[in-house]
Amino acid sequence: MSFYETLYIVDPNLENKSLEKTMNEIGKELEKTKSKIINHRVWGKKRLAYSIERQKYGSYILIQFEGGDQQKMIEYDTWMRLNNSVLRHMTVLLNDKPEIYVEEKKPELESEEKNLKESSDNEQLSDQVDTSDSDNNEENEPDDEKTTELKEAE
Amino acid sequence: MAFQSRNKFCFFKENGINEIDYKDVKLLRRFVNDQGKIMPRRVTGTSAKMHRKLVRAIKRSRSIALMPYVEKGTD
Repeated sequence: MSFYETLYIVDPNLENKSLEKTMNEIGKELEKTKSKIINHRVWGKKRLAYSIERQKYGSYILIQFEGGDQQKMIEYDTWMRLNNSVLRHMTVLLNDKPEIYVEEKKPELESEEKNLKESSDNEQLSDQVDTSDSDNNEENEPDDEKTTELKEAE
Repeated sequence: MAFQSRNKFCFFKENGINEIDYKDVKLLRRFVNDQGKIMPRRVTGTSAKMHRKLVRAIKRSRSIALMPYVEKGTD
C-alpha cells in the first residue's frame, strides 16, 4: 500500500479541548476510508505566508497514514474541504513509510525549563539573601516593640 | 572581472539530499528571491533533476501557506 500525509491548518484560537475534538473528528473521518493512521500530531502554530479567512496565524496538524479505499479517499477530501474548522488542507503521496513520531523534543524543553528554573532559583536565592538581611534588620525592631509591649503589660 | 564566472554547483548534490520536503521552509527559502519567485536554474546552479523536485516542493508549500505566492516589498 502507498503512504500519504495530510497537512491541515486549523484556527489558532481554538482551545486545547476543541482542538482535540476536531482532531478526533478528522481522525474518525479518515478511518472511514479504512486507512491506518500512523501519526497524528500538532506540528505547531505558525504565521501564515498569506492570510486565509482573515487569519494571520494557524495551527498546523499533520496526519501520516497508510492509504485505504481510493473512492472513499475522495469523499474524505471533500469532507475536509467542507469542514469549516479546517482552513486549508493538502494530502500528499509519500515515497517511504513514515517513521512513527516520538516526541523527543519534550525532554529537551523540560531540561531547558529546569535550567530556567535553576536560574530563577538562583535569583530567588539572591533575593532571599537580600530579604534575610532586611529580615535581620526587622527582627531587631520587633524585639524592641515586644519589650515595650511587655513593659506596658507590666 | 565581469566576465569571470562563479563556480556553480548543485546544492543538493553537494549535500547529498535526494528528496526535498515541502515542509522544510528554511531550505526552500534559499531558492526563492525576495519577491517570492523561484530562482532560475542558471542562477542557483541546481541540477535539472533536483530543480524539478524543488519546484514541486515550493509550489506545495505555497498552497498550504508556508511560503508566499507573492511577497510584498513593504509591510
